[in-house]
Amino acid sequence: MIQKLPAKKMVVTGDYAAAYGALLCDVDVVAAYPITPQTLIVEEFSNFVNDGITDAEFIMVESEHSAMSACIAAQAAGARTYTATASQGLALMHEMLFIASALRLPIVMPVVNRTVAAPIGIWCEHNDSMPQRDTGWIQMACEDNQEVLDMIIMAYKIGERKDVLLPVMPCLDAFILSHTVEPVDAPSSDEVADFIGKYEPHAMLDPDNPMAIGTFTPPEYIQELRYQNHVAMENAKKAIKEVTKEFADEFGRDYHGLIEEYKCDDAEVVLITVGTVTGTAREVVDKLRQQGKKVGLIKLRFYRPFPREELRSIAENVEAIGVYDRAISYGSGGPLFIETRNALYGMDVPVLNFLAGLGGRDVVTGDVEKMYEILMKAKDSKPDKEIYWIGTRGVSI
Amino acid sequence: MYEIRFHGRGGQGGRMAAEAYALAAFLEGSYAVSFPFFGAERRGAPVRAFTRVDDKKIRIKTQVYEPDYVVVLDETLIETEDVLEGLKEDGMVIINTAKKPEEVRLSKPVKCATVDATSIALEILGRPITNTAILGAIAKATGRVSIDSIEKAIIEKFGARLGKEAGEKNAKAARVAYEKTLVGVAQGGKAFVPRKKWLPTVEEMPIGGATPAMETDAGLVGIGSFIENKTGDWRTFMPIIDKEKCIGCKFCWFYCPEGCISMEDGKASVDYDYCKGCGICANECPVNAIEMKREVRT
Repeated sequence: MIQKLPAKKMVVTGDYAAAYGALLCDVDVVAAYPITPQTLIVEEFSNFVNDGITDAEFIMVESEHSAMSACIAAQAAGARTYTATASQGLALMHEMLFIASALRLPIVMPVVNRTVAAPIGIWCEHNDSMPQRDTGWIQMACEDNQEVLDMIIMAYKIGERKDVLLPVMPCLDAFILSHTVEPVDAPSSDEVADFIGKYEPHAMLDPDNPMAIGTFTPPEYIQELRYQNHVAMENAKKAIKEVTKEFADEFGRDYHGLIEEYKCDDAEVVLITVGTVTGTAREVVDKLRQQGKKVGLIKLRFYRPFPREELRSIAENVEAIGVYDRAISYGSGGPLFIETRNALYGMDVPVLNFLAGLGGRDVVTGDVEKMYEILMKAKDSKPDKEIYWIGTRGVSI
Repeated sequence: MYEIRFHGRGGQGGRMAAEAYALAAFLEGSYAVSFPFFGAERRGAPVRAFTRVDDKKIRIKTQVYEPDYVVVLDETLIETEDVLEGLKEDGMVIINTAKKPEEVRLSKPVKCATVDATSIALEILGRPITNTAILGAIAKATGRVSIDSIEKAIIEKFGARLGKEAGEKNAKAARVAYEKTLVGVAQGGKAFVPRKKWLPTVEEMPIGGATPAMETDAGLVGIGSFIENKTGDWRTFMPIIDKEKCIGCKFCWFYCPEGCISMEDGKASVDYDYCKGCGICANECPVNAIEMKREVRT
């Protein structure tokens, strides 16, 4: 239980917004390993516990692997759970992520996107969360701190839906959100409680009603379970659209479902962005529009489930598509590029990949302008390559 | 190509037998593959292993469904399942039993070879591990590989793992079995009620596989289903407790991995419905009140 919290305006970091979002959702259990690369999220939450604002159980564990294990066990016992991690910590958790999703436990865990070593870097890169693609978690990326807080609330509502029952990983770019303060509107705890409702587990560990959960299971059964998870992830598309709509109706902030289109209506070329680069790209789009260039932007919010249908629908009306990636799958391309081209299979539109900001390098407006410049050229003549390493010394574009 | 399906119990060495047979065939210039199929079963649970032999590279990777030969390392298995399932028309079954082929009753009359591999193993190896003896029987019954190659394969495979002496003893067990194997025809007519298996569709499958106690067409599933699934038939040796000697120290109760020992009037008592005969209780008993006795099933 939490104390009643009134709606308020705050100027806070993304870390604080993530922690406050969990507080508003009245989580029962938080398990965390508070050491680098962990961010301030769980530390902020531990302050709420210390100050008596919530009576949530805060479990200090000895590793990120144990943090997820503790959340899985608590969630399986019927609790609403929460943790947070980043980079190396998420990598260590990898094994347990599969268990959370396969047991259909709607844990919510923000990930602060940080570089996975080597070399050691604490700055923004998406090579920590993107390799978690196939763990069965809903994965999305936030653009600003308001979205971080709002997304934590929506994550519980989406994940806990009976037709979904999947864990959710909202991602926020390291430093650019996690350590940046900006104004955030927080709803009241009552409003949030009404919005997300009570968590009703599909099955739980209960000595009075014993149940086998996660037991040794032979080949006769596992394939059907895999299919169930696949269906749940497909169902999540509908759930995300419905929940973002409900959220917009209730709180007045519309996140438009799986993607948000920005000035795409008459666009000749569009750039797909993820995370905080979206905000910078909005500025660039406005500037190029003033110059009469028909450019558009797609803010890709969800990586899993992937918005295949939405992207295909937009691709029908544009002449070139660019995909921005802040991670690289060596020997192939950026993860979102690979995914987008797969989604657009059979469609006659060039798809280019822009890699920038790796290791936390700042992605500046000039970088985004360069991407649009290449896209405008690609619309007129066939490009001679697909993957562009923007701002990489010694690599020509 | 010909295919062999081995039926055994965990710990009897069915897998090793299947592999050693493949090695013997290889030593004679054939191409051979062998693989087991089992889950997390412990000693005593029914397990299967397969061997394929051909004169060219074998590409197929499936389990064997229509074997040319079926080998049964534990005769209690012919009571609980139709080991002839899928056996080819002119196929043959080779069974470890003290019975003559004509005394064995199966689902249909079929070419059958028998050998008392358990007694041979106990006599020569001192343990009821029948996998090497049965290989001698296969050589005799099928004529597909020579007993010399079987012996070589055993010495190579078992010798590498258990030492030269053990390898040779096992080869001897095979040779003795080869000489004692009887070939004839088994009786048919034994009826098996096909075991129903719970195979839920995606819709029927509990979400996330979280399984409460459930009654299904195939019997109980989930928590408590072992009420129907009595696993004591895995046992080869049974612990017999001498109540006079038992001092009620509960060591056996503590060490039993199956939770099969309870205390009655201060003395240990075994639940034979589930005891697998592992012998840990007898090993741990400080006053030697527990004796492991060969179990004879009728």
